[in-house]
Amino acid sequence: MSALLTPKDFATATPSWWCPGCGDYGVLSALKQALAELGKVPKDVAFVSGIGCSGKISGYLHSYAFHGVHGRALPVATAVKLANRDLTVIAAGGDGDGYAIGAGHFLHTVRRNPNITYVVMDNQTYGLTKGQSSPTSATGYVTGTSPGGNPDAPINGLAVALAAGGSFLARGFSAHPKKLVDLIKTAIEHEGFSIVEVMSPCVTYNKINTYAWFKEHTYYVDDAGGYDPADRSHAFDALLAEGKIPLGVIYRDGRPTLESLMHLPEQPLASLDLEGSKHQFESLQATYR
Amino acid sequence: MILNDIEIMFGGQAGDGSLTTGDLIAGIFKKLGLEVYTYKDFPSRIRGGHTNYVIRAGEHANYGMADLVDALIAFDLEAVEAHIEELRPGGFIIFDSTTETVPESMRRRDVTWYDVPLAKIAKEDLGLELVRNTISLGVLAKLIGMDRATVRDAVAGVYERKGEKVVGLNIRAVEAGGEYVERHFGEWPSGYGLQARPDGDRLLMMGNDAIAYGALVAGCRFMAGYPITPATDVLEWMAKYLPKYGGVAVQAEDELAAINMVLGAAFAGVRSMTATSGPGQALMTEAIGLAGVLEIPVVVIECARTGPSTGMPTKTEQSNLNHLIFSGHGEIPRVVLAPGTVEDSFYISAKAFDIAEKYQCPVFVLTEQALCQSKATLPLLDVASVSVDRGKLVTEPVTFGEYERFEFTEDGVSPRIIPGIEGGMHLAAGSEHSPQGVITENAANRTAMMDKRMRKLVSMREDLPKAIVHGDPAAEIAIFGYGSNRGPIVEAIDRLERGGVSVRFFEFRTLWPFPEEEVAAFAAEAQHIFVVENDFTGQLERLIRYVTGPLERMHLVNKYNGKPFRPIEIIEPIERLALLRGPESVDGGSPDGEPVRVKRQ
Repeated sequence: MSALLTPKDFATATPSWWCPGCGDYGVLSALKQALAELGKVPKDVAFVSGIGCSGKISGYLHSYAFHGVHGRALPVATAVKLANRDLTVIAAGGDGDGYAIGAGHFLHTVRRNPNITYVVMDNQTYGLTKGQSSPTSATGYVTGTSPGGNPDAPINGLAVALAAGGSFLARGFSAHPKKLVDLIKTAIEHEGFSIVEVMSPCVTYNKINTYAWFKEHTYYVDDAGGYDPADRSHAFDALLAEGKIPLGVIYRDGRPTLESLMHLPEQPLASLDLEGSKHQFESLQATYR
Repeated sequence: MILNDIEIMFGGQAGDGSLTTGDLIAGIFKKLGLEVYTYKDFPSRIRGGHTNYVIRAGEHANYGMADLVDALIAFDLEAVEAHIEELRPGGFIIFDSTTETVPESMRRRDVTWYDVPLAKIAKEDLGLELVRNTISLGVLAKLIGMDRATVRDAVAGVYERKGEKVVGLNIRAVEAGGEYVERHFGEWPSGYGLQARPDGDRLLMMGNDAIAYGALVAGCRFMAGYPITPATDVLEWMAKYLPKYGGVAVQAEDELAAINMVLGAAFAGVRSMTATSGPGQALMTEAIGLAGVLEIPVVVIECARTGPSTGMPTKTEQSNLNHLIFSGHGEIPRVVLAPGTVEDSFYISAKAFDIAEKYQCPVFVLTEQALCQSKATLPLLDVASVSVDRGKLVTEPVTFGEYERFEFTEDGVSPRIIPGIEGGMHLAAGSEHSPQGVITENAANRTAMMDKRMRKLVSMREDLPKAIVHGDPAAEIAIFGYGSNRGPIVEAIDRLERGGVSVRFFEFRTLWPFPEEEVAAFAAEAQHIFVVENDFTGQLERLIRYVTGPLERMHLVNKYNGKPFRPIEIIEPIERLALLRGPESVDGGSPDGEPVRVKRQ
């Protein structure tokens, strides 16, 4: 049955609130395509998003979707996975959600390495509040809250994740749908915490980091050949180099997942029989006699 | 003089073993068939700083602290200085005289002094200074005429897991303490003694353990928490036991993550909880609102301590009541339950999961340091009586398009489906949404959806734990209170009753939704109403006044110095204000030297 599913089967009837031309459309259609190509079914997909323009994506993907509070998508997604390891769990949010208000959870989810996928839709601005500087905005970026130019250095999310022990790091561009689908598919299939940062231009507020700008300022790490995503120092070099932004699978390793280190049982917690096990608890009282 | 009641205090420096010795003797008193309550008074540091451990033992179950201390075991001079005024006339002090001497000016004449070089005996006779705690136990046991074999057995039982060598050493230590007393002070010199009884089928358990145990039995299989005093015991207990039953306990990076993890696991269909204290509770506030609007069942254990901010992290207070009831932007249905004993902590904790799941909302279990970190004796827990009612949980496939996760229903509760089940796909959004879960700002939908959610507060009424009314139901004097104050209030009532004064006590077990009708009925015929609580502003008293209106004879008896009530602090204002006897002063003295504020409305 799953072979018959198409991206349309992952669509909802809810009309989008995004501006025409928003990069997030590309992310959404790549996600639907990737899930269909992987043979996933909506009932087994849990999709958790944060707050912001990007956070609205959970309303547009037919699945068990969770649109929580700002910055906390990763703790929710981690626990959904622990509760039911049979689910395909994907979290999504923007650069503000993941690298500002949710930065702590980002770092600690990298450390934990649960088998979930995180899509960071990076538009280098706060779109839904009308264009303030974000954690990935360039220094000097002029906005309503930074009229004298953004004084902060932009965060390099993937480099931070690599330093913290990230087991799968990829970056895509929402205007390259085919490559983005492949990246998301590879990420979902990765056993561990897979991060896909997607350059997703804000056509309304970010007049610097436009589609044309990204086309000029990005390259794929496997373009030239010889790039080994299993080599951590290669990955650091690529992520920290001045100049063009690297795209593609930048790093991957086989570090054990949270589920394996916690010795999570095969049976999902959600399907445990709670009544049946009650008699086992009587004996615990002996400890207190 | 055989008593049926004794209060013993071990005082020393944090990390020197006072708490271990306290635990040891609490276990021994339990084996002697006595009812036991313990209270830990320790500083927020690991090594050094005065600490003490109080053990109340006797025939009365679930009293709290006594008015005064009968026996003080002082491991240093600081313990004497700190607590000499709390001793009952006729009581006694065991003082470790190895390196310090009690100045004559400090030696109260109405108590007996037993100077024993505990550390010296430990070092010279037993070769290990650490065992001075066990020696002190031997001294105490001899002084109060405890049965030698019982004490030996209990010591052996406590150290059994550490091997024969440790057991042998501690038995020699306890004997050495007894022998020292015989040689220097004679046989049973204090005259204090306790009437032993058969132990029977009973437990000695800490409040936090009872809460965790109740949660496990009720089917909680996921916990996420962040270490915080005095709630950490719950996470440690669950981390130890949950994996054995297929569950998971996660130490999160902060309370924000902890509560959001609990939401995630509960969304996926697992009974889930967290445990925290004031500062962590404050951080969880936003996500609690999310649980309310997403209609996700979550259980939050609040182990209250003094606030605001860091406050006094290891001291007790009830000042988080308003926070639990009113915190958060927007309005959600929520439940606040409060156990009054360790035993009730088990049942209330277990019940919280049924209420949370039946009514799909956050449920708080409110306890405080003086109860959750205290041990008490209790009858065997009735594990079989714990129900697991999952309410309107949908476990079979539904038809997509027909199924409505947030369906408008008469009782406000909608059928709840979990990921993995065919047909139930939907968006759970913190934004206002339609019955299907689609985000909408439609005004009529908003009103209907708010009405639906808030209706649950009415439909859940019958399921909420009922208040317990203690004492003579016809008494003219009435007390309201909850939580750890149950013990001292019940003792105050018993003592007043013995003096011919009838008092009744309404012990709240559900604090929200507020039991308005029951409170109004209880207050109606009372001539005097006393509201006993550990806070400054009288948070409970104000809730009661919402219901009753201002009452001429309503008195707030409150305390906020970090220490639990002693019964005299409840008896005194009743005698003065309701019985018009006793001192005329507005401030009654209390054993720990702090005034008790009593005001007339």
